[in-house]
Amino acid sequence: MCDSCGCDLTHTHTHDHDHDHKHTHNSQVIEVHKNLLAANDALAAGNRAHFDAKGIVAINLISSPGSGKTTLLEKTIERLKGSIRIGVIEGDIETDRDAQRIRAKGVPVIQLTTGGACHLDAGQIHKGFHLLEHEPGGDQLDILFIENVGNLVCPATFDLGEHQRVVLVSVPEGPDKPSKYPKAFISSQVFVISKTDLLPYFDFPVAEAKADALHLNPRLQVMDLSSTTGEGFDAWIEYLTSLHSKNQQTAA
Amino acid sequence: MHEMSLVQGLIDQLVSLAAEHDKNKILTVTVDIGPLSGVAIDSFQFAFDILSKENSLTNGASLTIINSPATYRCVQCGYEESASVRPDQCLKCKESLLIPEGGDAITLNQVELE
Repeated sequence: MCDSCGCDLTHTHTHDHDHDHKHTHNSQVIEVHKNLLAANDALAAGNRAHFDAKGIVAINLISSPGSGKTTLLEKTIERLKGSIRIGVIEGDIETDRDAQRIRAKGVPVIQLTTGGACHLDAGQIHKGFHLLEHEPGGDQLDILFIENVGNLVCPATFDLGEHQRVVLVSVPEGPDKPSKYPKAFISSQVFVISKTDLLPYFDFPVAEAKADALHLNPRLQVMDLSSTTGEGFDAWIEYLTSLHSKNQQTAA
Repeated sequence: MHEMSLVQGLIDQLVSLAAEHDKNKILTVTVDIGPLSGVAIDSFQFAFDILSKENSLTNGASLTIINSPATYRCVQCGYEESASVRPDQCLKCKESLLIPEGGDAITLNQVELE
């Protein structure tokens, strides 16, 4: 039975009102004004509160595939071993190759495979973090890195509950990424230009890329580095150690 | 194509709204997609066309997309300008560094149901 008017027609009736008994279908307009990402954002806020309670700084790494996110993490783990306890959630569409690389460095890691989805969401991080907590050392972390699915577009829309968002662009990709993919740069706190050891072989005007990114988001902190040669890596390590010590002060 | 998952989230919200108000048909839906939301409007419409047909509640519903502007605040003089496309420079002092505020939301504004 139709709920609006009590007529005995089911939902297969059309709305052209050609049946002759008198009635009107009353439509109702509802003002909703609710963010479509409200469900994700609520989960993200829950994640952030959980990280805060455990004294963890969470960092969401976003870039195109092959920009050097995993290599950056490998070198970061080597440099910070013994001083800052790191855990990693790896996001990929398929395979646990990145997790294997991180595990080989001796830190707790969980691989999330999205099975085709182009981004991680806060719900996946919620589950992933609980799994990570059960890994050896996973319940005692200072910094949690979330390596997002390689994609400069979709991950930018989803808050995972991170405290800092870091966007990477490698030298072979070209300097025009900030202008072409603005959302990733507007929503990040840090922009890392990676693989600077390849600058002699590619046309990548570093100053231009930095200016473009700052034009989009004047609050961005920009650094350029090479994970291979270690050039520029000190600034990155300093950024992480200062995040960690600020976080400890807040907790104390 | 994260638009597909966003539209699926929208449809889930519409289904709960209809249940809440004891209605069984969604007629019109108005969504505000900000210029800095990172959402492609055509892809969003395309995803809605496909996914709305999957559910008898939303099948045939029409989607209206509005595009409210973002605000750009000048780092020098603080002048604020509303715009859908990022201005090259501050209208007042010509400074090129402008901080975007808002314009990144994807909001379900209004639903008409019966």
